[in-house]
Parts: sequence; C-alpha cells; structure tokens
Amino acid sequence: MDWGKVKFFLGEVLRNFTRNAGMQATAIGTVAITIVLLGSFLFVRTALAGLGGQLLDQIEVSIYLKPDVTAAQTTAIRDAFKGDPRVLSVDYVPKKQGLVELRARTKGEIDTALLTENPLPDKFRVKVRDPDNVPAVAASARQLAGVENVVYGQDYVQRLLSLGAVLRRVGLGAILVFLIVASIIISNTIRLTVFARRREIAIMQLVGATNMYIRMPFICEGALGGLLGALLAIGILWIARATLWPRMLEALPWMPLSSAAVDPVRLALELLAVGGAIGILASWISVGRHLRT
Amino acid sequence: MISLRGVSLVYPNGVHALDHVSLEIGKGDFVFLVGHSGTGKSSLLRLLYREAKPTAGEITVDGIRVDALKRSRVPALRRHLGVVFQDFKLLSDKTVWENVAFAMQVTGASSRDVMRQVPRTLDLVGLAHKSRMYPGELSGGEQQRAAIARALVNNPKLLLCDEPTGNLDPTNTTEIMELLLRINMKGTTIVVATHNQAVVDRMRRRVVRLENGKIVTDEERGYYYLGLGQGQVLSG
Ligand SMILES: Nc1ncnc2c1ncn2[C@@H]1O[C@H](COP(=O)(O)OP(=O)(O)O)[C@@H](O)[C@H]1O
Ligand SMILES: [Mg+2]
Repeated sequence: MDWGKVKFFLGEVLRNFTRNAGMQATAIGTVAITIVLLGSFLFVRTALAGLGGQLLDQIEVSIYLKPDVTAAQTTAIRDAFKGDPRVLSVDYVPKKQGLVELRARTKGEIDTALLTENPLPDKFRVKVRDPDNVPAVAASARQLAGVENVVYGQDYVQRLLSLGAVLRRVGLGAILVFLIVASIIISNTIRLTVFARRREIAIMQLVGATNMYIRMPFICEGALGGLLGALLAIGILWIARATLWPRMLEALPWMPLSSAAVDPVRLALELLAVGGAIGILASWISVGRHLRT
Repeated sequence: MISLRGVSLVYPNGVHALDHVSLEIGKGDFVFLVGHSGTGKSSLLRLLYREAKPTAGEITVDGIRVDALKRSRVPALRRHLGVVFQDFKLLSDKTVWENVAFAMQVTGASSRDVMRQVPRTLDLVGLAHKSRMYPGELSGGEQQRAAIARALVNNPKLLLCDEPTGNLDPTNTTEIMELLLRINMKGTTIVVATHNQAVVDRMRRRVVRLENGKIVTDEERGYYYLGLGQGQVLSG
C-alpha cells in the first residue's frame, strides 16, 4: 500500500468536498429526504408483507360490543350463534384478554403499561365452518342488539390490500420524484466543483492523467455526499422507529402490524447502497459532460 | 522525433490555421518556430500534443501516429512530452513542490518515485530553495522554472514551449533560454514557438518560419528575420 498516494488522493477529495459546503449540505439534505421516504416505504411494506395471507387464513368474525352492552344482550348474542349450524365456535374475549393478545402479537412493541385505559372493546370471536358463510354470519350479527361493529378477515384483507396499493403508488411516485431531484442537485454540486477545479483538470489532462483518474475524486465526492445523506436518513428513520412506530401501533391496534419481519441492518445497508449509487451516478454524468467538451 | 506530412488545420469557425505543413524534427534537436502573431505557431504545437486534430495530413510524435490516435490513448502521448506556456499555468493553491509533484501524482507515480524525482527536477531548474513557496510569491522567471520542472518531471523526450518568455523581462528571458539549452544538452528534444527576436538571434539554432499557416523558410542556424545573417537590413 502506497500511503503517500492514498494521502494525496484523499486530500484532493476532501478539499473538493469542503470547497462548496453550502451546496454539499443541500445535496446531502435532499438525498436524506429521498432515503427517509424510501426507507419508510420499505419498512412499512415489509411490516405489511404476509399480512394478507395471515388474514385470509382466519375465517373468523369479530363481533365488537358496545361499551354499554348489558349482560342480557351479551348472553343473547352468544346463544344466537351457539345454535347456528354454520358456526364452529363462539368465544367471548373480554377487553383485558384482547389487550394480552395484542401485546403478544406486537411482541412488546407497544408499551401497554403506558395506556391509561384499555382502548379495546369486548368482543365475541366466532369461528365459521365455511368461509363462504362468513358474510352471512356477519350480517346476522350486525342486527343483534348491543353490537357495535362486525369485522371479518375477507373485508379487512380487501381494504388493506387496496390501501396498500394506493400507498405503494403514491410512495413510489414520491420516491421517484425525489430520486430525480436528488440526482440533479448532486450533479449540480459536482458541476460547481468541476468548474472551480477546471484549471486543475486542464493541467491533469495536459500532463497525461487518464479520464478515469480525473473522474475518480469527483466520483468519490459524489459517493461521499450520497453516503452522508443516507446516514442522516438512517438516523432519522431510527428515531422514527423508536418514537413514532409504537404510537402508530397503539393508534391502529386492530392492524396486525409487526416489524419483526424487518431486518434493520439489512435495510440500513440497502439504503446506504442506494445513497452511494445516487451520488456516483450523478457525479459520473456531470464530470463526463465536462471531460467530453 | 516529430514528423508532419501535408498537415492542414481548419478550425470549426472556418479559420485556416495551418496549410499543408510538412516538417521533420530529429531526436535531440532544438528548433525555433517563429512568425507573426496569428500565423499558426500555437496551433502547430497543439497538434503535437493532440489538443487539436489535423483536418488533413499525418503527424508522428515519438513513433505515435498522433492524427489517428484514439481518445483513450491521448494520456499516453502526453506522458511522452512536456508542455510549457507563456502564462505558466501553475496552480496557485499549491506550492512549487506540489505543483511539480502533481504531474507525477495524477499519472499514477508511486510516492517513492515522486520523492526521488521532484527534488532532482527542482534542482535542475534551480528552484530547490523555493520549493515550499506558492506561485504568487515567485518572480515570473521562477514561475516559468516551476512550470518547466513540472513539464520535465516525468522525463519526457520532447519539450514543447509556446512563447515561454512572453511574460518575462530580458534577464529572466536569458536565464530561461539557458535553462532550456541545458535541458536540450541532456538529450531532450525542444521546440520553442516565439516571436522574441533577441532570443532567436542570440541562440543561432534551427529556425522554422511560419507565415499564414505555411512554412516559408527552414534554416539550420537561422536568425529571427530571414537572411539577417547575410547583412540584409529589414524593418519591422
Ligand atoms: N481555438 C481556436 N478556434 C478558432 N480559431 C483559432 C483557435 N485558435 C487559434 N485560432 C486562429 O488560428 C490562427 C492561428 O492562431 P495561433 O496558432 O494561435 O497563432 P500564433 O500562435 O502563431 O499566434 C489565428 O487566426 C487564430 O485566430
Ligand atoms: Mg501563439
């Protein structure tokens, strides 16, 4: 390893990088926004993945009871389904148990100790023999007194899937727009550096430096900007994961969301790779344009 | 070392800078390229280091067919030669040492070679004692010495100088020409484009004279003005 060579090269990159700090900061910020969007998108997508299948397996109907339901009404509801030939089982799930189940499902992501009161209603869990009968069972449940709401998997899945599709389209659109904006800003930043260093570049060309060699510091500058932007984004996502995510789970307790499927290290590495790639691509293009003229 | 056969250069704006120029320059030669401003001296040099491409004709430099050279091979050509300009083209935020070392560093030399070659070259041009100074702290003559050191540091066989004394006073001019002569005596081929009459007349070297993009005379031991040695009186 020729340390003199390495030192010279890194010195050149760093000098470039600090030359127009304001522009660099803008570029890094834009990359960060892009990657925060991309990261949230990937995170939520993974958290939702497999959800559809999991729900489809559940041919069960949840009958949520009104807070002021009477004991007689509760008994009436139970009796109505006990004798129903379409129904496999009827279980009463008091809200306390619902909370325990929720806690188990989210694997401690919600700090239930923080809840001042249980947000869940009492419910009946009705298992239906044939999935085709689920809508009919749900419909008859809705007509009973003391019933607040009836939810069953199919409907749920449908809504989630269509919500997911909309989110995906909006998310991908926003990410694409920001990717383009970030690339433009980085390549403009590099163009400024290239312009500031045009004398040096001219001399490099004069003494016989290869285009590849001339490109290299700029590519590294771009990569550095991209990576720093990605690091910043990962920091922001980390904080969001620690603060916002549990609140989202609390706010949407009926959504079987779980971040268990998300590998944070892998996601971070992917985001770093994306940041670096944006930087390299943008600077490659803008230096190439200068060298060709 | 250099061979031009029927070389013409027409710039994109339609200016005919060179018109069917043929010229042979041998290894170790010292050649002056003279002529009024705008007669194509710089253009001819630019063709030699492939800053420009001829419209017609063949150019060979140190065995390399420069006119047919692929873009990717241009750096290799430039490493075979050094170029010096009237305005020095030094980097103002680097010291003399760094400016000279730069030419080696950006062409991938090892730091050991840099450490060995840079002091040696600064010694040759007489700038060793000012190697830590910045170009702004040097006289014009010293800046040109630094530029020459940068052109020489990779040991080229050919040194091209475009008006190297154009910005210098007579004393510095003499010193720079003496330096070029010394470099030439060590075996480097040197081509100097100039319109400095005193320099050309004192040195009595080969003089190639351009007029409107054509070579009009080529004398073995010439003067700046044609035939001055034979006692002719010329004005202008
Ligand atoms: N890059 C260029 N584009 C167009 N015309 C040029 C360019 N460089 C030089 N010329 C023209 O070519 C002619 C020769 O110029 P040059 O080689 O610089 O002459 P000299 O060095 O002898 O003064 C001049 O008419 C000049 O205006
Ligand atoms: Mg000229």
